[in-house]
Amino acid sequence: MIVKFNLNTKPVEVDTNPMKRLVDLLREDFNLLGTKEGCGEGECGACTILLNGKPTASCITNAIHAHGGTLITVEGVAETPEGKLLIDCFDATNAVQCGFCFPGFLVSSYHYLLNDGEPNLNKIKYALSGNICRCTGYHKIFDSIILACERNKVK
Amino acid sequence: MSITFSKPSTLTELLEAIDRTEKKHYLLAGGTDINVQLKNGFIETCTILYINHLEELKGIEEKNGTICIGASTTLEQLLSNNLIKQHLPYIQTSLKTFASPLIQSTATIAGNIANGSPTNDVSPPLLVLDADLELLSINGTRTIPLSSFYKGYKQFELKPNEIISHIIVNTHSQSGFTTFYRKVGARNALAISKLTIAGLKKTNNNRIEEIRLATGSLNEYPRLLHLLEEYLTGTPPGKISKEEIETILRQEITPISDLRSDRDYRFRVCLNLVLEFVDL
Repeated sequence: MIVKFNLNTKPVEVDTNPMKRLVDLLREDFNLLGTKEGCGEGECGACTILLNGKPTASCITNAIHAHGGTLITVEGVAETPEGKLLIDCFDATNAVQCGFCFPGFLVSSYHYLLNDGEPNLNKIKYALSGNICRCTGYHKIFDSIILACERNKVK
Repeated sequence: MSITFSKPSTLTELLEAIDRTEKKHYLLAGGTDINVQLKNGFIETCTILYINHLEELKGIEEKNGTICIGASTTLEQLLSNNLIKQHLPYIQTSLKTFASPLIQSTATIAGNIANGSPTNDVSPPLLVLDADLELLSINGTRTIPLSSFYKGYKQFELKPNEIISHIIVNTHSQSGFTTFYRKVGARNALAISKLTIAGLKKTNNNRIEEIRLATGSLNEYPRLLHLLEEYLTGTPPGKISKEEIETILRQEITPISDLRSDRDYRFRVCLNLVLEFVDL
């Protein structure tokens, strides 16, 4: 079927199997390779996207879920002022190690920054609880998001 | 493997389709579990009916002294809804540990109930709140208590042509009660429960006047502990004994050993949590 949605602020349409997983649709049909598949079961968060404004695991949602909606990938987040701020803060605290989980962390923390934005460790931990970093650099990741929240408030 | 996909354009069309279909069918709302089953090859020949666009199955409203929750309401909507916050905050405090925000954004309340895992998070708190399910088919609606929905491991009081359309909870079902909820897992987020206990109680001068207790992951399905409730309300304060609670629990829960935990651990922790809740 024809699936239509808004992808990174542009209207798109694609003829696809409606059950195709969103992670595959983004990577194969739109060549958006920032979204990674980790566990494939919704537990690791490497495939996080924003679907209708909510952080969503694209490995367990389907093309049909995007139909008529709005989807933002890590590539879209990286273009925004808040996304750029977060990338700078990840850099400043050396939060990134192997980097595989980071597209997911960037999308989840972007959602947190935009919708709450309080530099509160417990809230940040909860907001990121669906994202797993197997290099286990959580402290630096949390530090970077606190830093981004603080800088975003000053701005 | 042959999977047929269909997107009924209206609720009536959906009900007609499931009334007709001979093949095994699955309703796709959030898809957080069905996609894992598809990936692992647990679902083969079937019809998948997409229902996430049907507005009649969404939303939370106050109606005739009840809070009526649409079947495809997401956990995120449930956790952030103001009516729930005002009248049934217990639902929000207990379900905060549901999976993770990434799953909460898509997983639905009826999906969690109808998937029917013995470990499902939604049922224990809803059982103690005495929730009802509204079941809908082409022939009309009927309402049953959630406590009679589960009949065995993944066996339900649901005809092949019926769907869960709403979850209905009395607006005042937690008024005057002390609440209790413990989900025991290996970690806070994304844990599949080793065991869960939900409870509501009303006391007067140390006497338990009313108590409701439900467990998850301790039987083939989440259930209320009626015998224990009866014992705790019928026995004078000071006469309630730990040994008797243990004996009754042995009749009502049948924990198993699996990769998450073993039988004895589950039994012991369940007993300890019940004792903590009844303050013994």
